[in-house]
This record gives sequence, structure tokens and C-alpha cells, in this order.
Amino acid sequence: MALFEARDLHLRFVDRVVLENVSLAFEAGQLSGIMGPNGAGKTTCFNVLTGRYKPDRGQVLWDGQDITGRSPQAIARLGIARSFQLMNLFDEFTVFENIAIALPQTRARARNIMAQAYADPALVDEAHAILRRVGLESRADDPAKSLPYGARRALEIGVALACRPKLLFLDEPTAGLGSDGRARLADLILKLKGSITIVIIEHDMEFLFSLADQISVIHWGQVIAKGTPAALKANPWVEASNLGRLN
Amino acid sequence: MSAPLLTLDGVSRIYRRGLFDRTPAFQLHVDKTFSRPEIVGVLGPNGAGKTTLFEMIAGSNAPSKGRVMVAGQDIQRVRYLQRDRLAIHYHQSYQVRHFTKTKPAFVMEQAARSYPLVHLFDEPQFNTQDGYIGFMLDFFRKLRAEGRLVFVCLHPTAAYQLRILQEICERFLFVKGGSVTEHADFAGLAGQADVRQYLGALAP
Repeated sequence: MALFEARDLHLRFVDRVVLENVSLAFEAGQLSGIMGPNGAGKTTCFNVLTGRYKPDRGQVLWDGQDITGRSPQAIARLGIARSFQLMNLFDEFTVFENIAIALPQTRARARNIMAQAYADPALVDEAHAILRRVGLESRADDPAKSLPYGARRALEIGVALACRPKLLFLDEPTAGLGSDGRARLADLILKLKGSITIVIIEHDMEFLFSLADQISVIHWGQVIAKGTPAALKANPWVEASNLGRLN
Repeated sequence: MSAPLLTLDGVSRIYRRGLFDRTPAFQLHVDKTFSRPEIVGVLGPNGAGKTTLFEMIAGSNAPSKGRVMVAGQDIQRVRYLQRDRLAIHYHQSYQVRHFTKTKPAFVMEQAARSYPLVHLFDEPQFNTQDGYIGFMLDFFRKLRAEGRLVFVCLHPTAAYQLRILQEICERFLFVKGGSVTEHADFAGLAGQADVRQYLGALAP
């Protein structure tokens, strides 16, 4: 049984169909990709999976349990974390503090949380362990606003990991990154792969082909193709586009 | 036994110059039946009426005369929000025209289906750089294999777009000068003088 599953999702915005019969399955421990051109419905689909929109029809299942229509907070509490295409960080706080504030122990405290966070060795250790995973340990005491764009992305993933998720959703992680940034991000995600179930939305085919175990291609609000990177790459039009044989 | 997938029964759409000057500014006439699942290519110059044809099939634009029947239901008698359960128009980006909706839902019929039978792709973006074309073409084939009728409308500006149509379409419609002509295959289409003139340098 898949860890996370969507069955026949249907969603309409007034007179427009935005999702039509979308079915997806994400296996535990795997890295799954959702790709499609701009405007295909990828983020809308993500928003249904993570509880921001309620589908008109269809089901979202977590470990076999129906969680359709639950609030984003309720879904997050199940152990499902997500990053956003536009990043949300506490700019005035340090890198360490951004992580520390997202840890469950911190969130359980009512007030003066930062002072208590620094005083709790277990919490400090966990925050540093996360910073190591995302390659930001050396920048722990820098303010978040001083980080270059690619490192901000890594920090955002760190913040998501601090929630100790079982499933991590990443929405267009390569957005705004150059080729160096992409390569570093791919390294970071490869290191996380296997230790946690990951789902990435991306329109950059090459990026997903290099990372994912399974990919679903979304267009016109529907799943138009599914398969392993090798199977999808074998499509003659994909080959032709990479080699630039057309035109 | 069952009704054809799509019947354009003596359909005309006429736009007149104005309330007093009744000379037609635009007209389109079509009378055709599509009985089996297939992929139909629709070509024609800008302004010929390709999108108007799609709008009439999807029911957003009412014909001036005639009826559009999808699987036996007159699309104009079906509730507005359920028409895409019969025929769905995937609009060209930024070209969604809205038409007045006058009738309340309760006087109209329900769509007899939950998933669209006729799929109308209006100038889909075939971008050779990103490689999605192959998945789009496979999707058209999958829809047809599931018993659906697929229309792909294109105003070709590059040779590869013609190759795409040639690869996937089993039948062609050419929209020009107010009428729709049918061609059984690509050779038949490309052999026509008016089509060759329209294609210009792209004509094979």
C-alpha cells in the first residue's frame, strides 16, 4: 500500500475544471516527481494533497486513512511537511533560530521560546543535526537574510525537516536557481533520499529525471503520463528535445 | 443503437455587422457526424472560425441555426456547468471568451456523463524544447483508446507542427471562408490547392 495516495481527484474553480480524475500514489521511502508545463495544475494538485483546497470529488489517503478535506494544520500534524514556491523564512533570525523555532519541542512552549531553545542541549543538538543534513552548519549564526538564494532554499528544506515529517513535499525547489544552485540542491536532495519519503513538483525535466524513482506528468489538470525516469526518457519526443534535433 | 459521439446538425454561426446593418461579418457552416473515437486535426487561417467551432461543440457559444448533439444530448439544453461533462474545451491561453448565461439550471437537463466524451484542444502549446510533446500525443491516443473523440486545432507555423498532426490525426477538417471541409487523411489534406496555399512554405 502506498504511504500517500490520491484517488480520482476532481476540482473546479467556478466554470473551469482544474483537476480531472487525478490519481497519484507515493510509496514510502521513494522520491516521487510531479512534472508538467507552467499552468498545468501542479501546484493546485499539491494544494489539494496538503489540505489547502478541498476537492469536489475524490479521496486523499494517508497510510490507508481517508484525510480528504482535513485542514492544512491537521495534515501537517500527521507528519506531512511542505515547502512553497515562494519562500517563507524569518529573515531577522539566524539560520539556527529558523530551525530551532520549527522543532516540535519549541512549538510546544508558550513564551520566551528562543531563550529556552538555547538552554536546551537536546534541542540545540537536533537543530545542528538538521543544519548538517542541509549543509548549513557553518552558517548557523548568520542572519537568514544574509544567505544567498540557494542556501535559503536549503534552509527552507531544513525548516520543513525540523517538523520531523514522514513525507516531505517540495514545490518547485529549483525556481530561481542557476545551474550551480540546481546541482547543489540535487546533491542535498540525493542525500535525504531514502531517509524520508519525498515528493517534488518541478517543471525542469532534467532535474527530476536525475532524482526521482517515479514520475507523474500533469497537464490540463490531468495525469497524462506516468512511469520511471528511464521509461519516460525513452519517449522519442523527449529524446529529440534533449538532442535539439528539431527545427 | 447508441447515438453518435458528436453530430453537428446543420450548424451555422453568423455574426452580423450591427443591429441595423445585417450584413454578415463572420459566418461558419458545418454539418457533420462523428460516430467513432478518433483524433481529428483542425486547421485554418486565423479568424476562420476554429475556436468558434470548438465553442459551439463545447456549448459555450450557441449556434445561430442547427443543433450540436453530444452522445444524443443537445448541448444547449444541458446545464451550463455540466456541459464540460460531455465536451471540454481546453482553451488557448488567454483566449477564453465568456458568453451570457440566461437560463436557470433547473429548467435544463443534467449531463448524462461524469467524464468528458469530446476533448477539444485549442492550439496546444507544442514546445520542442521541454519535451512534453510526446506525453501530450500519448495522452491524445489514450483518450481515443478509451472511446473518446479528440480534436486538435492548430495553425501551423513550423514544419514539426505539421509532422505532429500527420503522426496522430486520422481525419482532418480545414476551416476557411465560412465552411468546413473534411479530408480522410494527411495526403488528401496536403493535396488540396487551398490548403497548400494556406500552408505556404510549410506545404509538404
